[in-house]
Amino acid sequence: MLEAAEVTKSYGEVRALNGFSLTVDAGEIVGLVGHNGAGKSTFVEIVSGLIRPDAGTVTIGGRDPARARSDVGVCPQHISLYRPVTVREHLRLFGGLAGLRRAALRQEIDRLVTALRLGEFCDRPVGVLSGGQQRRAQAAVALIHRPVLLLMDEPTAGADPETRQALLEVIRDRAGEGAAVVYTTHYLPELTELDATLAVARAGRVIARGTSVELLDKLPGEVRVTFADEKEVCVSTDDPTGTLVDLLARADRPVTAVDVRKPSLDDLYRSLAVDDD
Amino acid sequence: MTDALLRTGVLIKHNIVLRLRDPGQLISYMVVPMVLMLVFKPLYVKALDGSTLEAVTGPLVMFSVFALAIVGNSILLEREWRTWDRLRVTRATRTELLLGKTVPVFVALVLQQLVLLLYGCLIIGLPVPGSLLYIALAIMVWGFTLLAIGSALATVVRSRGDLHLATDLGSIIVSSLGGAVVPVSLMPSWAVPVAHFSPGYWGLTMIQSAVRGDVGETLRCAWVCLAIGAVFGVFAVHRLSRGWGRSRLL
Repeated sequence: MLEAAEVTKSYGEVRALNGFSLTVDAGEIVGLVGHNGAGKSTFVEIVSGLIRPDAGTVTIGGRDPARARSDVGVCPQHISLYRPVTVREHLRLFGGLAGLRRAALRQEIDRLVTALRLGEFCDRPVGVLSGGQQRRAQAAVALIHRPVLLLMDEPTAGADPETRQALLEVIRDRAGEGAAVVYTTHYLPELTELDATLAVARAGRVIARGTSVELLDKLPGEVRVTFADEKEVCVSTDDPTGTLVDLLARADRPVTAVDVRKPSLDDLYRSLAVDDD
Repeated sequence: MTDALLRTGVLIKHNIVLRLRDPGQLISYMVVPMVLMLVFKPLYVKALDGSTLEAVTGPLVMFSVFALAIVGNSILLEREWRTWDRLRVTRATRTELLLGKTVPVFVALVLQQLVLLLYGCLIIGLPVPGSLLYIALAIMVWGFTLLAIGSALATVVRSRGDLHLATDLGSIIVSSLGGAVVPVSLMPSWAVPVAHFSPGYWGLTMIQSAVRGDVGETLRCAWVCLAIGAVFGVFAVHRLSRGWGRSRLL
C-alpha cells in the first residue's frame, strides 16, 4: 500500500530525512518509533502530500501522494481543529470534502461517534473540549472517509487512558478491515496492544524493521543471581538459559533467587533509536 | 466538475459559519464609519460646497481598508489552528480551497460597502447614484483589491500582533494618503503626488466617480485597482498554495 524508497528531505542545513525507506502492506500497522528529530513527522508530511521530498520515491497504492490524497487519513501530531466549530460540523466538513453525502455521511458520523465515544460532546465547539476529547475529535476527522492508508502521528500524546483505549480499538478495527496504518508514538506499550510491526528511525532513516519478536530476539537478555550473602551477579547475555545453568553450576554459595529478564521494547528503543551521544 | 462544485460549496459554507461565529470586527467596521459620517457631515458639507460625497465615501473607504484585518484574521487563524494543512491533505484542490476561503470574506467586504452606501443615501443625504451597475462594479473591484492585499499580508506576518500593527498602521496611511480623511485637493502639497501611490486613492476615486456617474474615470480607476489586486493576489495564492510547513512565515 505504502512504499517509500531512499527518501531525503532537508530544511536548510538540517537533513530531516536521509535515505528513509519503509513499506507498509494493507492491513498492517507499523509502529514508527524514534527520538524527536528522527524524521517521523517529516515522513508523515511527505506521505500526506504536504511537502515534496528532495529525492527518493513515495507511492501510495502505486500513485504519487499528491494524487492519492483521497486514500489517506492524516491525524497530525498537534491538534488541528477549528475552535468555534463543533465536532459534528468538523465531521460534516471533512466528510463532505471526501465526497460523502447525506445518508452515507450521517451513517459514517454515527459510527465514529459511537466508536470514539464522541456522543456527549459531539455538538459542542472544539475550543471548549478537554485535551482528550479534542484528541478523539482529531482522530475522527482522519477516519471519516474510511481511508486505506492511515497516518497517525502521535495520536495519543497527552491523552487520558479512556481516549487512548478508544483510539487504539478503532485503529485496530480499521487495520482489520484492510487499512494500512503508520503509527508514530513514544508510548511503546501501545504498539504491543496494536500488534504492530516496528520501524525504528534514527537520524532520518529506518535502521531496524520487523516484528517486535524478531527485533527483540537480537537483543541480549539479562540473568541476575542473588546469593545467600545478598551479593548479586548480573550478566547480559544472548543465551539466558545457558548462562543461568552455567552460573548455577559454578556457584560456590547457596543461591536465594534467580531472575531472567527478557529484553523489552524500551530496551529495544534505547538500543536502537537513541543517539549514541 | 460537480464534485469540485460540491466541495467548494462545502468550504464556502464552512467559512461562512466561521465568519458568523466571530462577527465583531465586521459589525465594528460598519457601525464606526456610520457614526463618523454623522459627526463629520457638517464639516465636509461646509468645506466642500454642500457635497455629502466625501462625508460618505471617505469613512467608507477608510473602514473598508480597516477591514483588511478581517481578511488577514480569517487566514491567520488557519495558521494558528494548523487547519490549513489539514485542508490541503483532503481531495479539495488549491483553487477550491482558495475560493472556499475567500468568497465569504469577499462577500463580507462587499456587504460592508453596500450597507455604508445605503446608509449614506438614506441617512446622510448622498444622492442616489444614477448607475447602480457602475456602483456595483466599483464595490466589487475595491472588494477584490482589499481581499488580495489582506490575503498577501496574512501570508507574511508572523503573529496576530504583527497583523494588527500592519492593518492599523497601513489602513491609516493608505486611507489618509488616499484622500479618505481630507480630500486630496486640500492635502499638503507634498502629499498630493504621493496620494497616487496609495491604493486608497484609486479606490476612493473609483467609488466617488461611480457615485457621480463618471463612467470613464470609474473604469480607469477600476483597472488600476484590478492591477494592484492582481499583483497582491498572485503573491497570496503562491504563498497559500505552499502552506505553512515549518517556516516561521507562511
